[in-house]
Amino acid sequence: MSFTRMMEGNEAAAWGAKLSRAEVVPAYPITPQTELISHIATMIANGEMKAQYIKVEGEHTAMAASCGASAAGARVFTASSSQGIVNMEEGIWMPPGRRLPIVMCIVNRAIAPLGSLRPDHNDSLLQRDTGWIQLYCENSQEVLDTIIQAYKIGEDNRVYLPVAPCYDGYFVSATATPTTVPDQDEVDDFLPPYKHEMYNLMPDEYKAAPAFPRNIAKARYEVQKAMERAKEIVEEVDRDYAKRFGRSYDGFLEEYACDDADAVLVTMGSMTGTARDVVDEMQAEGKKIGLVKLRGFRPFPTEELQELAKKYHAIGIVDRNTSYGSAGGGIVSMEAARALYALDDRPLLLNFHVGLGGSDVTMRQIEYMADKVLEAVETGKVKEVVDWVELHEMGEVM
Amino acid sequence: MKNDQLFDEYYEKSLMQGGTACCPGCGGPTFWRMALEVLGPNTILYGDGPCAGCATRNIKLPRFGLHFSFVADGATGIVAALAAKGREDITVVSGGGDGAIGDIGFGKVSAAAERNENMIQLCIDNEAYMNTGIQKSGLTPFGAWTTTTPQGKENQKKRIPMVIAQHGVPYVATASVAYPRDLKAKIEKAMGIRGFKYIHTVMPCPTGWRFNPAKSIEVVRLGVQTWSWPLYEVENGVLRLTMKPDPKPVEEYLSTQGRFRRLTDEQIEFIQKQADNDRERLLENDGKNIQF
Amino acid sequence: MSRLVRSFRPVVDNDKCTRCGNCQTYCPEGTVMVKSKEDGVVYDYRFCTGCGICANECPVEAITMVREG
Repeated sequence: MSFTRMMEGNEAAAWGAKLSRAEVVPAYPITPQTELISHIATMIANGEMKAQYIKVEGEHTAMAASCGASAAGARVFTASSSQGIVNMEEGIWMPPGRRLPIVMCIVNRAIAPLGSLRPDHNDSLLQRDTGWIQLYCENSQEVLDTIIQAYKIGEDNRVYLPVAPCYDGYFVSATATPTTVPDQDEVDDFLPPYKHEMYNLMPDEYKAAPAFPRNIAKARYEVQKAMERAKEIVEEVDRDYAKRFGRSYDGFLEEYACDDADAVLVTMGSMTGTARDVVDEMQAEGKKIGLVKLRGFRPFPTEELQELAKKYHAIGIVDRNTSYGSAGGGIVSMEAARALYALDDRPLLLNFHVGLGGSDVTMRQIEYMADKVLEAVETGKVKEVVDWVELHEMGEVM
Repeated sequence: MKNDQLFDEYYEKSLMQGGTACCPGCGGPTFWRMALEVLGPNTILYGDGPCAGCATRNIKLPRFGLHFSFVADGATGIVAALAAKGREDITVVSGGGDGAIGDIGFGKVSAAAERNENMIQLCIDNEAYMNTGIQKSGLTPFGAWTTTTPQGKENQKKRIPMVIAQHGVPYVATASVAYPRDLKAKIEKAMGIRGFKYIHTVMPCPTGWRFNPAKSIEVVRLGVQTWSWPLYEVENGVLRLTMKPDPKPVEEYLSTQGRFRRLTDEQIEFIQKQADNDRERLLENDGKNIQF
Repeated sequence: MSRLVRSFRPVVDNDKCTRCGNCQTYCPEGTVMVKSKEDGVVYDYRFCTGCGICANECPVEAITMVREG
C-alpha cells in the first residue's frame, strides 16, 4: 500500500532500493550515507527486504563486489560519498566498460582536503568521464523515485550502463521532507526482474562477457552510443513513471517560473529548493529571473541547454564544485560553455562558485547571483566571468 | 589427424585448452589442470592478474575478473548473487597471485576471511611480480634476486597461510604441483566445506627464478623436501602436516635457481636456520589446535 | 603456432616407456598423454611448448628433447 510521511533522503533511498527489489547490497559506511545502509540492514533484518547485505571492508571492495554480483545476475544497489567514491575509483570504471547496470547513490560530500562532511559535487562530477549516468535529486521524494527509475534506465538493453542518483549529504540525506512511498505491486509492474542479455555466469548457461570489438576506439564508441541512447530512455522512463505514479522530473532539466524571464540561474541538487523561493520573491519584485534545475549531468543535456539559450540573454551556472586551473570556472560551466559554443547567437554566460566544501547556499547568495545575471543582461556584458561568491561575501576582492 | 581429435576431446573434458600463453614450464597451467580435475564444471572462476590470469584464459569455465588488485572482492559479490538466487551448489573459486594477495589485496583477503565468504581462495604464488618483469613482492623469499632487489631481497617472505588461519576460517592449506595427489585431495576437501577456504600453492617460475624449464617440478619438489615450502593443512584450527619428508639441506633447493646465486654462506645459514625453525615448530604443533 | 615458441620438441621412445603417466601428470599444457597400453605416449605438437618437464620427470628416460626444426 502506498503511504506518505516525512522522510529523510537516506531513508527514502532505502525505500527506493527495497521497492526496486535490489538483491545484493555491498556497502561500506561513510558519513553522510550511513543512515541509508543502516535502514537497509534493518529492513533486511526485519524480513521486509530480501537481499544479501555484504558488509565489506572498504569502498574499493564494495564496487568490486557490486560488479561480481551484477555479472552473476543479481540486481545490485550500493552507495557512497566523497572519500569513499575516490577510494573506489578504480572500480568505478568497471561497470560502464563491462556494461553492468549497477545503481549507486552518491550522497554528495566534499572531498578532502579542503572539504568537510557536508556536500559539494566534486565527488560525483569527478566521474563524468567514466560512463556512469548521473541524475541529481533535490529532495527525498526525488531520491526514491529516481532510484526506481535508475534501474529501469540502466537495465534497458539499449543502455546497460550504471546509474548514479546523486543527492546532497545532510541537506537531502538527513533532511525530512514529505515523501510518498509507492505500492510494491505497482513498482513490480513498472520494473521487471533483472535479466542481463549479454552475460550469464551460470555454468549451465554460460555466456561470456560482452564481446567488445578488439579495436579499443570502437569498443569505447559503443559505450558512448549507449550513453547517447540513454538520453532518450531517461526521458521515456520519466514519462512512464509520471503516468503510473503521478510524478515527473522533466527528464534532464526543469524550467521553473521561466515564462517571463530574461535570464536564468542553473542549479543542481538541494540548492534548487532554496532557489525556487528566492526566484519567487524576486519575481514578486518584478525582477525577470528564472530558474533552471539541472537534473541530469550525464548524459549532458546539450540540446536542451541550447534550446534554453535561445530564450534567455544571460545564463548563470551555479557550480558547487571546483576545477583548479580549468579553462574557466567550475565543471558544469565548462560543459555548458561547450554546449553553447555551437550556437551562432550565444547568451552571456556567468559562472558562480558557491556552497564549496559543503557551506550553506543561502537565499542571500542566490539573490546575489541572480542580481549579477540580471546586471549582465542590462549592461550587455559580464563583469566577472568566474565569481567566487563566498569570497565576495567575506569582503575579499579577487 | 587422429591424435588431434583425441587431444581436442581431452581439452573439452579437462576444462582447459592446451597451449597457454604462459612461459614454457610455468607452474600455473600445471596447477590448474590438476585442480580442474577435482573442481569440475559446476564452478565459477574469479580473478585476474598478469601471471594469475594467463593460465586462466584457457580454462573452459564461466569466468569473471576485474583487474589485478581486485582480490576476493568480485568473488564475494558472485557468492552473494548465488545465495540470492539459491544456487549455492556452484563452487566459487577466487584466484590471485602473490602480489595481489600478499601485497595490494591483502586487506581484501583478510576481510573475505573474516566474513567467512563461501568460496575457495587460491594464492598461486610464483614469489614475485613476474609477468611485469620480475619485481619483488611481499612473498619474495629472503635473498632472492629480482629487478627491484638486485642485491637480493632484504626481508623475509610474508607468512600468509598462517595469518589467514588465525582468522578462524574452516580450512587453510599449502600445496605444491610436485605433489599432485596431495594438491587434489586438498581441493576436494575444500569443496566439501562451507565457508572461507584458503589454499596457497607454489607456482614454479623458470623465468623469474632462473632455471631450465624442464626442472620445474624437480625444483619445487626440492622446496618441499627442504622444508622451504612445507605442506600442511589447518582444519578448524587443527594443524596437520600432510608431508613430513626427511629434511634435505636448503642449499640443495637454493642451488637449483639463479635467483639465489649471489647468496653468501651466512645468508644460506640464515635460511637453513629459518627452515629448521619452521620444521620444528610445525612438527611440534602437528595435530594441535593452533588458533588462539 | 607452437613451432614458433619451441626451441626443442620432446620425442618419446615407446619401447622404453612404462606407461607410468608422469609425463601426463606434470605437463603444464596437457599436450602429452598415455593414449593406451599398446600405443604408449602421444604428443599434441600443435600446442606443446617444448619445456622439457616430461623428459625430466620420466623415470626411464624414454623422452628426449630434440632441437626443433
